[in-house]
This record gives sequence, C-alpha cells and structure tokens, in this order.
Amino acid sequence: MSDPLNSRLKNLIVSTLKLEDVDPASIPDDAPLIGSGLDLDSIDALELVVAVEKEFGVKIASSEESRAALASVSQLAAYIRTHAPSDRSLG
Amino acid sequence: MPIEAADCRTPFGDARATSAALLGGRRALCPCPVLGPDGGDLVPLALLSARALGETAPPGWLPCLDGLAAGIPQGPWGGPRHPVFMTSSNFGVGSLFAFQRDRDPRHIEYCMPYSMSEVLRQRFGWGSNVTLVSHACVSAHIGLLLASRCLRSGSAERALVFTFDFISPFVTAGFHALKILNAGMPAPYAALPTGSIGLGDGAAFAVLGRPGSGFCLSAQTLHNEMHHFTANDPAGAGFAASLAPVRAAAGGRRVWLKGHGTGTLEAGRLEAEAFARHFPDSPLVSWKGSLGHTLGSCGLVELPLAIEAMRSGRAPGTVGTAPPCFTDNVATEAFSTAGFDGAVIAGNAFGGAHASLLLGHD
Repeated sequence: MSDPLNSRLKNLIVSTLKLEDVDPASIPDDAPLIGSGLDLDSIDALELVVAVEKEFGVKIASSEESRAALASVSQLAAYIRTHAPSDRSLG
Repeated sequence: MPIEAADCRTPFGDARATSAALLGGRRALCPCPVLGPDGGDLVPLALLSARALGETAPPGWLPCLDGLAAGIPQGPWGGPRHPVFMTSSNFGVGSLFAFQRDRDPRHIEYCMPYSMSEVLRQRFGWGSNVTLVSHACVSAHIGLLLASRCLRSGSAERALVFTFDFISPFVTAGFHALKILNAGMPAPYAALPTGSIGLGDGAAFAVLGRPGSGFCLSAQTLHNEMHHFTANDPAGAGFAASLAPVRAAAGGRRVWLKGHGTGTLEAGRLEAEAFARHFPDSPLVSWKGSLGHTLGSCGLVELPLAIEAMRSGRAPGTVGTAPPCFTDNVATEAFSTAGFDGAVIAGNAFGGAHASLLLGHD
C-alpha cells in the first residue's frame, strides 16, 4: 500500500509543475526527480521547494539541501518527516 | 585598447581604499535581513556605508555615483565621438519595488532603465549618445566590449563605460528564493558541503581609447553556452569556450586570474577546473568573499582593483576562503604581481553568458 505522504507529494509535484500528461500514481517512489526520471530542472526544483515550504512549513536552507531533498519522492518524504513542524499533518 | 582611467566604488570606498581593505583580508559583507525593513533571514550583504536595504526617493546611492563621476577624465561625454555605455543588471528595480510597495510617485523617475539613465545623464551633464546595456552579471563586460568595438571601428575617439548595481529587497529576495543567498558567508572556490553567495553594492567606470593608466585591454571574449537559464553545462563547456580565446591571446605571457567566484559550489568548481586546465601555472582569486557579488557591475568593479594590484605589486587573495579548495591554483592569500605580465578578469551570468578580458601593460 502506498505511503500516504508519498502519494500526497506526487499529487503536489504534478499540480505544482502542471504536468498534465503525468499520472501521479505512475511516479516511482525512488526514481530521480531532477535530471532524469521526471527530468525536472532547477527552475522546477525551485517551484517545488516553494510549494513544499507552503504545504508543509518546511524551510529548505540551501541549494545543496534542496538537491538532496528532491533526489526522489521517498527522499523528499523523509526530509519532510524530519523537518516539518510537529503540529503539521503529514497524512 | 588603452585604458585612460578607471575607478570603482565599493563599501570600502574607491579602488585604492578597496584594494587596501582586501589586502588586509577585510570583509565588506555582514549579516543583514534579506527583506530589509521587512526583516527575514539574515544573509551576507555589503551595502554602502550608512545605506539601508530599502529604497528612498531619490535613491540613497546617488551621492556615491556623484563621487565616482567626479573622477572621470574631462570630455564631451555623450557627444557624437565620446559615447557613454551605461550598464547595470537592474538599473532602478529597487525603486520600482519601493513604488509597488508604498505607491510614492517620487520613485517613478528612478525605476525604469530609461528614466534612471536620463536622471544620471542630466545629473552629470552628458549628451544623448548613451547606450544602455543590461545582461545580468556580464553587463559591464559587454559595455567594455561594445566600447572597444566602437573605438576600433573609428566611430569614437574615447569611450566611457559607467556601471552600477545597488542591491534592493527585490534582488536579495530573488537570490534567497533560489537558495543560493543564505546564512553562510561566501567562500569562493572552497571545497565545502554547501555554498552561499553574498551580494554587494558596486559601481565603476573606465575610459578607453587613450593611454593614461599604463594598462590596456589586450583581448576580450563573450560566449553563451546555451545550456540552461540558471545552471552551467556540467562538463564545463561554457567556461572552456570563453577561456580558450583569451588563453590564446595571452600567448606566452604570465598572467594571474580574477575569476567570477561567487561562492556557489557547482559553478565555482567548474570555473576553477577550467582555469586550472587553461592556465595551469596561474594563481586564481575572487574577491566576492569580501565585496559580495556586485551583479552587473562585476568585472568593471574589479578592473581598477586589478590595475592597482599590478601597480602596487601585490594582489589580494581570495578573502573568506581557506583550503581545501577545488583546485590547487586558488590563491587564498595575497601574492606578489611582480613577474606577471597581466591578468585575466572573467565573469558569467544567468542565461549562460561568459565573458573575460585580458588586462596587460600598455
């Protein structure tokens, strides 16, 4: 059964980046997001960072941290679980 | 192309004062709220003394330009054969942001490139032969290139390149959103786990066409790698394409290197490696660890500093950087310029632009 946070993130990626031809469920949990896999670029990464900050209250401090957090959906979920404020629902 | 005169203004002052500060290892950067009066995270900024990050009407940095312009050699600037090339990455965008924020109509005359340049043209008594150049962080390099071409074609006797970039909450917020302006102090070319830039106020001029300074522009290059808006070709092709011609122009001359070196990791590594390949025996410095990145004015801000280094016999090292560095040629300490025939000053910009010039003796 799919992790609810992973599913939520896949929907967020598709809606934020307006990937109209991509079914969120088709995004593998561990496939690279940047450069290959979904082949997102640095501008897409920036939009995702802003969306994640708004949605989960998580502040990503540097471009290096951004690259590590956005390595895959699973990595992003793990980052959010580690850094999200305790009062935020992650389901 | 002979350089008649050049000078700059940084938070340390003119070229001589700035050079002395850099040789002393001083940083102009200090932690400031990224949104100025609206607060926000602390990020490294280098503002002119007594200037706050937030625009006034008229802009608080205009007296700085008065001081800089007073040092320009006399001439019918803006006349038919004395063109002015005015360059900036953002001209009056700080005033535009301030107008959007507080709707004070006094900001309007400063907030557009054309209106801002008209303010300066009239303030300094220049004619209408003024060309505006805005191409992100190679703006000043392009201004120098256009001025040189104008002189070589015979359509001008002398040319003035005048550049300025004063940071504003709009600019700092933009770089902060990109996650490259953050809490860390910049350490150009240092092999660190995270990188950060600083942003700084900067202005400068150069007059080309007649001897005067004892130095000249021996070569200039401009290249766009056409890879991506905000990232470099990971193979370093853009840096290689820009440096190869200036390497060929240098021939057997011994040169030192003033790179772009903002403090970002990926671009810094690519740049350092490209310099090490093309100029294996040349020390590489960046002064942005002290002055911050002066955006569109960079390159021309450093030109009089490089001239001062050649005249005085001592070049400042890469202030703010300690080993280990990406490559062995990074000079973290000041060094003697005796025995060097010139210097390469390089820069690059969003959109994939690369520019460089070779400074030599006249």
